[in-house]
Amino acid sequence: MTTDAPRLEVVTAHTPSPLRRRLTTILIHVLLIGASIAMLYPLLWMLSASVRPENEIFNATSLWPSEWSLDAYRRGWNGLRVSFGTFFSNSFLISILSVLGNVMACSLAAYAFARLRFRGRNFWFALMLMTLMLPYQVTLIPQYVLFRQLGWIDTILPLVVPKFLAADAFFIFLMVQFFRGLPRELDEAAQMDGCSPWRIYWKIILPLSTPVLATAAIFTFIWTWDDFFGPLIYLNEMRQYTVMLGLRTFTDSTGESDYGALFAMSVLSLIPIFVFFLFFQRLLIEGIATTGMKR
Amino acid sequence: MTARSFAPDAPARERAHSPSMLQRFWQNDAPGYLFLLPWFIGFFGLTIGPIISSLYLSFTDFDLLTSPDWVGADNYVRMFTNDPKFAASMRVTLFFVVFSVPLKLAFALGVAMLLNRGIKGLPLYRALFYLPSLLGASVAIAILWRQIFAADGLVNQLLEPFGIIGPSWISNPRYSLWTLIILSIWQFGSPMIIFLAGLRQIPTDMYEAASLDGASRWRQFIKITLPLLTPVVFFNAIIQTIDAFKSFTPAFIISGGTGNPINSTLFYTLYLYQEAFGFFRMGYASALAWVLLALVAAFTAFSFLTSKYWVHYDD
Amino acid sequence: MTIRIDRRSFLLGSTALLAGAAAGIRPGFAQEGANLRLIFWGGQARADRTYGVTDLFTEAHGGEIQGEFLAWNDYWPKLATQTAGGNAPDILQMDYRYIVEYANRNAIAPLDEFVGTTLKLDNFDADQLEGGKVGGKLYGISLGANSVCTLINTTAFEEAGVTPPTNAWTYDDLMAMGEAFKSANIRGGMKAIMDASYTEPALDNWLRQRGKALYTPEGQLGFAEEDMVEWFTLWQNLREAGVCVAAEEQALDTGPLETTMLVQQKAALMPSNSNQLVGYQALMEDKLDMCGQPRIAAGQGGGHYRKPSMFFSVGANSQNKEAAAEFIDFFINDVEAGKILGVERGIPAAPAVRDAVAPTLDEANQIALNFVSNLGDLLGPLPPSPPAAAGEIDISLLRTVGQEVGFGARSPEDGAQYFVSEATAILSRAG
Repeated sequence: MTTDAPRLEVVTAHTPSPLRRRLTTILIHVLLIGASIAMLYPLLWMLSASVRPENEIFNATSLWPSEWSLDAYRRGWNGLRVSFGTFFSNSFLISILSVLGNVMACSLAAYAFARLRFRGRNFWFALMLMTLMLPYQVTLIPQYVLFRQLGWIDTILPLVVPKFLAADAFFIFLMVQFFRGLPRELDEAAQMDGCSPWRIYWKIILPLSTPVLATAAIFTFIWTWDDFFGPLIYLNEMRQYTVMLGLRTFTDSTGESDYGALFAMSVLSLIPIFVFFLFFQRLLIEGIATTGMKR
Repeated sequence: MTARSFAPDAPARERAHSPSMLQRFWQNDAPGYLFLLPWFIGFFGLTIGPIISSLYLSFTDFDLLTSPDWVGADNYVRMFTNDPKFAASMRVTLFFVVFSVPLKLAFALGVAMLLNRGIKGLPLYRALFYLPSLLGASVAIAILWRQIFAADGLVNQLLEPFGIIGPSWISNPRYSLWTLIILSIWQFGSPMIIFLAGLRQIPTDMYEAASLDGASRWRQFIKITLPLLTPVVFFNAIIQTIDAFKSFTPAFIISGGTGNPINSTLFYTLYLYQEAFGFFRMGYASALAWVLLALVAAFTAFSFLTSKYWVHYDD
Repeated sequence: MTIRIDRRSFLLGSTALLAGAAAGIRPGFAQEGANLRLIFWGGQARADRTYGVTDLFTEAHGGEIQGEFLAWNDYWPKLATQTAGGNAPDILQMDYRYIVEYANRNAIAPLDEFVGTTLKLDNFDADQLEGGKVGGKLYGISLGANSVCTLINTTAFEEAGVTPPTNAWTYDDLMAMGEAFKSANIRGGMKAIMDASYTEPALDNWLRQRGKALYTPEGQLGFAEEDMVEWFTLWQNLREAGVCVAAEEQALDTGPLETTMLVQQKAALMPSNSNQLVGYQALMEDKLDMCGQPRIAAGQGGGHYRKPSMFFSVGANSQNKEAAAEFIDFFINDVEAGKILGVERGIPAAPAVRDAVAPTLDEANQIALNFVSNLGDLLGPLPPSPPAAAGEIDISLLRTVGQEVGFGARSPEDGAQYFVSEATAILSRAG
């Protein structure tokens, strides 16, 4: 441990001057703004494409449309026989259910892997990880046959039920890593007080894991919202289609396509996920504002 | 700390008589298994069947329209001796993994740290940086990427004042893969969010204490942040690598499912998809998938084994 | 030890499951008449027309038709998955390239038993009828004929001061046009034509003019290495002379309409299919016209043929084959239906429908109809159905080798030799 004098030296030497701090902040903001433009440009392009005349979309040099019209939005909304309102509600249903399922089921499994000791734990963990590594294209057909035998084709069951059965190994793994970062002393203290594993899970681990649960919710929502392959294979009636699937029917390389409508509906489809994200990201910050975790 | 029964009087009971295997199971292992019950149902009900099927299919000739014919190891033999596209797709995929994953993680961590400082407008910036990931696999991305990386695209327009006449990055076999690498890095939102969540879990009083002791920002990063973040770094590294090996959609939409020009964007799973659905060779595609699985599993096992040297958990 | 599952989550979960299941239950069919499932590829425009016809049909015949449509790229995986799962629809749209596969694997049903009774095909164009046959049996009913063509950006030609081509034009004329475009240098260096060295229909057309073919009826390659060398060299010369676009530019074309050289304004001419004029015109301000593919020498014809653009086939496991055949018959023979469909899928093969439809067409569609009806000496005999591996040779081999030659990674000789040997290997492996 140092004496007083050297400590003061060290402290002053490492406090940047106000000017230096100012410059750093400005530099950071410049970087962030520059990067934000890179992030925003595609959205601006899509917005522009959704309000300009169709034959300008691919030929124009600037982002600014020559004419403004919301016609593409109207065409897109009702363009397919089923309105996009139906697609949006289908997507919502599937995504919300998936979030519920994933958060519930994966946290249960993750708690077991992270906090409980039982025979075969490492073996099951390795198997669980393996399910992450197989590309979906090859389990697709056997899974389709399986769901067909269950009579689940043309319903949302193949899309949603696996979530309630913790099929998303990604989230199990994610939560395991997070749970393992929480101090064991908490568990031990609770145990001494006679808490069952369920109580520890419900009263201690979960509340402290808001960041990872919020993360899981956000990712689940966005990924199921964006998924088109599952709905493509399992949903037959257009009434059941999701937004992403509906979008894909606007363009076809063998015939007429309505690009304006595609971009208009794409812009609209971004709104729910963006809103969901904004709402849940607050939980990410506020989760562990408390520093109540003593090490 | 050993796992014992959670009932407080267990030790007494156990001293009284030797528990049977069933009782031991119930006391020690049951909690774990009960928590895993949903996963077990899912695994044995929905997942294991298709996985075993796909393994079986890899030893067959399956054209999707008629039933599979057993061909033994033919698919695997052909893969390793007589398939230039297999080698090409492996090369492309490995290149992609080696370059995109570290860069993506570096960006994700860097930006997460920047945002963790608590600057003004944090939620807005965080959302903005996540925006590209929201766009995911839309057709719009393919069109946009062309607008940016074609011969008359944005990038070349920016290079022009410097006297550099760039090629058509996206349609030139030498550079096309890099445009996909950049696309992957551009969508760093997911690992960034996870890093942020991990950073948020580090108690701030540790930083305060370190500051008081006179540690510089850099030292704090090296001695506090990084070590405590290692579980998250580990997670992100594994997941991003697995994802990169399995990467399909960007190559699919940007090359139109072709892997061109000249197979320079023929990702492994894209090749797999072509074989399965384009050429009615699902048996061969299954074999391809299992080879990929073996490769990724080996990598993951290696990572887990070496992780104990650098990942710090609190248990 | 019990695990207490929170009552709320249990209720929530099970309600959700039930709701999900309920959402998926299809309503019972209350009408009489058959219930058919139909699947096709295309965009909204085609869907609107198709559903217009299904409505007409169910009004007249009762029953219900549940339709589903997807983009081309999504259609095939889905159809294959459904077929593998034993769940294929009753009526499916089929393409020339896949009909042999599906027929040989008994995934679609032969329709001969319905011909003459439910399927009235007496006046049907003979070549359209033949096109749907595999191994002598009828597996698909042509929904329209199209032909390969060359799309012309007439506005660009005007700007460059060059006379657009007609059905009489030759590859030499193409060279001359190319030079003219080079000197005119409009729109940032627009070339005369795209690089068609790996466009299978263009190669096919060129080979047929020389008396060869892509494939023999036995399923072997119908041409030799020297032909390939000449083809690649032809295009290399065009490329070097700046008549066609550079390899880098052509590689931007990944399939979707908006990536093509015509829409990207990099070329003023582009080989395509006659029924796609409408789709392209919608994306472009410039006026488009069409003519045939270039002749190898003045007066040399025989390269074109009227191809069935697509078929309707019946799923092999369909429980309603008769009803499906009835619908198909309505689709192709009913005049009102024909008017709704127009020539969006191609020129109708039933003469009565064709005559009724002609006056109702708009300008772009008229151009297509006129072109296909007036091929004259450009027309040659209908080729045999391609072997099953033809798709793979096109996508996997021709395009890759063509690009390699274009980028200079292979010489035309090398490329031709590699192509022929690989193609032969693929054909023997598949056969």
